[in-house]
Amino acid sequence: MAGPRTGPAKSRRAERVALPLVAAATAALLVVMLYYPVGTVLVEAVTGDSGLSLAPVLDVLADPFYVGALAGVFRDPAGVPAGIATWLRAPDVPGFGLFGFTAWQALLSTVASLALGLPGAYALARFEFPGRRTVESLTAVPFVLPSIMVAVGFVAAFGANGPVNDLLRALGLPTLELVFTLEVIVLAHAFYNAPLVVRVVAAAWEGVDARAVETARSLGASPSRAFRDVVLPQLLPAVATGALLTFIFTFMSFPIVLALGGLKLATVEVWLFDRVQNLQLTEAAALAVLETVVSLALTYAYLRYEAAASRGDRVAAPLARDRLFGRLDATRVALLGYGLVVGVVFLLPIVSMLAASVTGPNGLTTRYYEFLLRQEAATSGTAPGVAVRNSLLFGIGTLAFAVPMGLVLALASVREGVAARFVGVAAMAPFAVSGVVVGLGLLEGLVFGVEVFGARLTVSGPVAIVVAHAVGAYPFVVRNVAPLLGRLDRRLVESARALGATRARALVDIEVPLVMPGIAAGAAFAFAISIGEFDSTVILAEGSGAYTMPVAVERFLTDRTLGPATAMGSVLLAVTACSFLVIDRGGGRYRE
Amino acid sequence: MTRTTRLTRRGYLAAVGGASAALAGCTGFTGSGDPSGTLTVATYPSWVEGEGPAGPWLKEEFEATYPDATVEYVTPESTVNNYIRRKSEGAPIDADLYVGLNVDQLLRVDAELDDPLFLDVQGEVKNGGNVKDGLRFDPDGRAVPYDTGYISLVFDESAVDRPATFTDLTADAWSDSLIVQNAQSSATGRAFLLWTIQQLGADGYLDYWRSLKENGITVLGSWDDAYNAYSEEEKPMVVSYSTDQVHANRYGQDMTRHQVAFLEEQGYANPEGMALFADSDNRELATAFMDFMLSPAAQGEIAVRNVQFPAIPESEAELPETFAQYAKAPTEPVTFTYEGLKGNVDGWTEDWAREIAQG
Repeated sequence: MAGPRTGPAKSRRAERVALPLVAAATAALLVVMLYYPVGTVLVEAVTGDSGLSLAPVLDVLADPFYVGALAGVFRDPAGVPAGIATWLRAPDVPGFGLFGFTAWQALLSTVASLALGLPGAYALARFEFPGRRTVESLTAVPFVLPSIMVAVGFVAAFGANGPVNDLLRALGLPTLELVFTLEVIVLAHAFYNAPLVVRVVAAAWEGVDARAVETARSLGASPSRAFRDVVLPQLLPAVATGALLTFIFTFMSFPIVLALGGLKLATVEVWLFDRVQNLQLTEAAALAVLETVVSLALTYAYLRYEAAASRGDRVAAPLARDRLFGRLDATRVALLGYGLVVGVVFLLPIVSMLAASVTGPNGLTTRYYEFLLRQEAATSGTAPGVAVRNSLLFGIGTLAFAVPMGLVLALASVREGVAARFVGVAAMAPFAVSGVVVGLGLLEGLVFGVEVFGARLTVSGPVAIVVAHAVGAYPFVVRNVAPLLGRLDRRLVESARALGATRARALVDIEVPLVMPGIAAGAAFAFAISIGEFDSTVILAEGSGAYTMPVAVERFLTDRTLGPATAMGSVLLAVTACSFLVIDRGGGRYRE
Repeated sequence: MTRTTRLTRRGYLAAVGGASAALAGCTGFTGSGDPSGTLTVATYPSWVEGEGPAGPWLKEEFEATYPDATVEYVTPESTVNNYIRRKSEGAPIDADLYVGLNVDQLLRVDAELDDPLFLDVQGEVKNGGNVKDGLRFDPDGRAVPYDTGYISLVFDESAVDRPATFTDLTADAWSDSLIVQNAQSSATGRAFLLWTIQQLGADGYLDYWRSLKENGITVLGSWDDAYNAYSEEEKPMVVSYSTDQVHANRYGQDMTRHQVAFLEEQGYANPEGMALFADSDNRELATAFMDFMLSPAAQGEIAVRNVQFPAIPESEAELPETFAQYAKAPTEPVTFTYEGLKGNVDGWTEDWAREIAQG
C-alpha cells in the first residue's frame, strides 16, 4: 500500500480506470474466446465462390426438409400469393420442416418448464419449511448432468419396466409408453430447465416489496387483486427470462433428443452436428447462423418487453413467508401434489441414475466404483480425482471472470438507447451459438493456432478452459443482474457521483449491494455452466490433463458398458450438489 | 516392475518365436539396434479408457520389447477430422500413427485433402501379410487392419423368435421390436444401413426402411443409447456386435438376452485399421509398432480386450479357448469396398436420415 498522503489519490486513479479496464478485458476475452473462433466458422455461411454471398443460408431456407412450407417463399417468392390462395381453398396444417419441429418442441419444453417451475418458485419464495435453503441450493443440480446420465435415469424411471409403470400395473391402471416419444423429450427438457425457472422467478418473488402489497390490501384490494396488480408485474419479467433461456437451450438440444426420442424427433442441431462430422462446413455454418438468428431475435423481443415492463422500486421489505406445514388448505394440498410431481419428475430419474451406477447385469455391484478407484491409481488414462479437482478449480475460476464480465455488460446494457439494446442482445451470443460450432471454432481458431511472424501461437489448457467457461456463463449474470440494475433508482448513483465518488466506487458501494440477489443467482448458474460444460472443454483439454468431470464421463463411455460412465456421473452429481450447497451458503448471505 | 517386464518380454518373444513372419520383422530393421524415441499414437478414447482397454496393455508390452521406446496416446475429440483439418489448415500434425481408422474416415480423408495424410508402409510391416484379405479396406494400402467387428442383431429369445432374413424384420412377429442406431453418427448404425443397401440395392433400400418404419423401429443416437434402452428391456432386439456374448460371459450373464442373429447368415464387417501419418519423422518406430500389433500375441489380446475379431486368421492369433464359443462369426461376412462407397455413402446416409426424421 502507498503512503497515507498519496494513497487516496492513487486509489482514486485506480478506481477511475478500473471500470474501463474490466470492460476492455471483457471485450478482449470475448473477441479471443468467442467472436474470433466462432467467426472463423460462421463466415462460411456468408461466403460464396466469389466473396460475400448469402447463397449457403438461402440454400437451407429453400429446402423444404429444413423449413417445410416456408421453402416456397425463398424458392419462388412470386408464387407465394398463388400458393396462399391454393392453401385457402383447402386449408391444412402446414409443416415447417426441421426448423419448425425444433421450434415446436422447444415451445412445448418451455411451457412444461414453466408449468413445473412456477409452483416451485412459489413454494420456495412464499413458504418456510425445514431444508428450504438446501432445496433451493440443489435446484441447479439437474442443469449440470451429462445427457447420457439423464438418458439412463429417464429410461430406468419411465421405461416399460420402470417404477412408474410398475406402480400403474400394481394399481391395475394402463401403463405409459413414454420412452421414444416427444413427451419424454419435453419432460427431460423440463428436468433440465424448470430448475432455472424456479431460481429466476423465486429470486424476483423474494424481491417483491411487502409494503406495496400491504398498501394495496389496505386500499381494499382482494388478495388475488393485490397479486395481479402488484406482485405479478414484478414477476413477469423473471418468468419471461426463464422462458427465453429455456427456449434457447432446448431449441439447440441434441444428444438427449437422440438418446430418448430418436432420429424421428431430430432437431436442427442433429443435422448441424452431422454436417460438422462430415466436414460440410458451409452447410453447418448456415444452419448455425439460422439457429443463432432465431435465438437472438427472441432475445431482442424480450429486451424490448423488459424495457417496457414496469420499473418498481427495489425491495425494502420482502414478503414474509408462510409456514409450509400449517393448516391444510387448498394451497397446501396443491403444493403437496406438486411435491409428488417433483418426486416423480426430478427425484426418481436422479435416484435411477445413482441406482444404475451400483447395478450390474446380475444385481448390486460396486465394480464400477472399483473401476474409478483403479483409474485413480493407474498411470495412464483419465483419473476421476483429477477431473473432480479440475472441475472445481475451473468452476471457481469461472466465477472470478464471469461475475465482473457479467456486471460490466449488464451496466452497459441497461442504459437507454439502441447501442445499449445492441449490447444486451450481443451479450446473449454465447447462449445463442451452437455448442458444436463453438467447439469447432476453438479447435480451428485456437488449438490449431495461428502463424504470427513465423511462430505458431496456440491457445489451450486450463486458463483457456476457464475463460471459455466464463464466456459461456456470464450471460446468466447479465440476465439476472440487468433487470435489477434497470429498476434501481438512478438518482442514488447520481448523488454518489455528485458527492465525488468514481463510477467504479458507486458501482461497488451502491449498485452491487442492491443487486446482490441477482449476482448470487447468476453466479450459481455460472458455476453450473462451468461444471457441466463439455463442447469447449473437451477441445481445449486435449493433451493437457485439464479434463473435467463431464469429459471423464464421456471418456468412460465405451461401446461395451455404461457402468463406469454412470459411476463417474454419480460422482459428478454428488460433487456438484455439495458445491452448490457451499456456494449458496456463501452467496446466500446477501439474500436475506 | 522388473519381474513384470521380464515376463511380458518373454511372453512376446515366445509369441514371435512361433511365427516366422514376425521374426523376419525383427531382423528386418536397419540401422543400429532397435528403433527408439517417443511414438505418438492418435486414437479414439475407448482404446485407452474403460475396463481393460487394449491401448495401455500394448504400450506396456511394446515398451518392454523396445526399452528405448515410449508410446504416448492422444485422443482428440474429433478423431480423424482433427487431422484432416490440421492438414488443410497447415497446422502441425503432432502424431506418428493413427489407430482406429475406418473406411468412412478414409473416404473423407481422400475427399478433403490433396496432399497425403497417411502413407503406404505395408512393405515395412512384415506381419501385415497375415491380415485376412477380406478386411483390407484401403485400395492404396495406407490403412492396415488390426481387428474387425461383425454387425449383427442381438435379441431376447424369450421375447421374439430368431429373425433369419431382412424380410423377417418387416413381419408382424418382429413388429415394434428393433432398436437401431443413427447412421449419421454411429458406426454400428452406419454399418447396419450399409448392410441393408448391400442387400436391397441403392434403389431399394429406402423402400425397405419405409417398411421397417411401418413395422415400428426405433432409431437412437449412439450404441450406448441403443444398448441402454435394450438392457432396460424397452425392446427385444438391438443392432450390435456379434461378440456380444463375450461380454455377457465375462459377467456371468444369462444368455437369454444375448442371442446373436445373423440375417441371411451374414454379418457386416467393420474392420479398424492403423496408418502412418505422412508427416511422421518416426517411421521406423511406427512401423515396428504396427508390426507388433499384428503379432499373434497382440492380435489375441486386442481381440479379447476390444471384444472384436483379430485381423489375422483366428487360428493364428493367440486366443483363449472360450473365445470361439462366445464370439460368433457370420458364415458370410459382407462389407462395402472403398470404391463401392466412394461418392455414394454421404448421399445414401442423407436420404436415409431424411426418411427417418420427422417420420
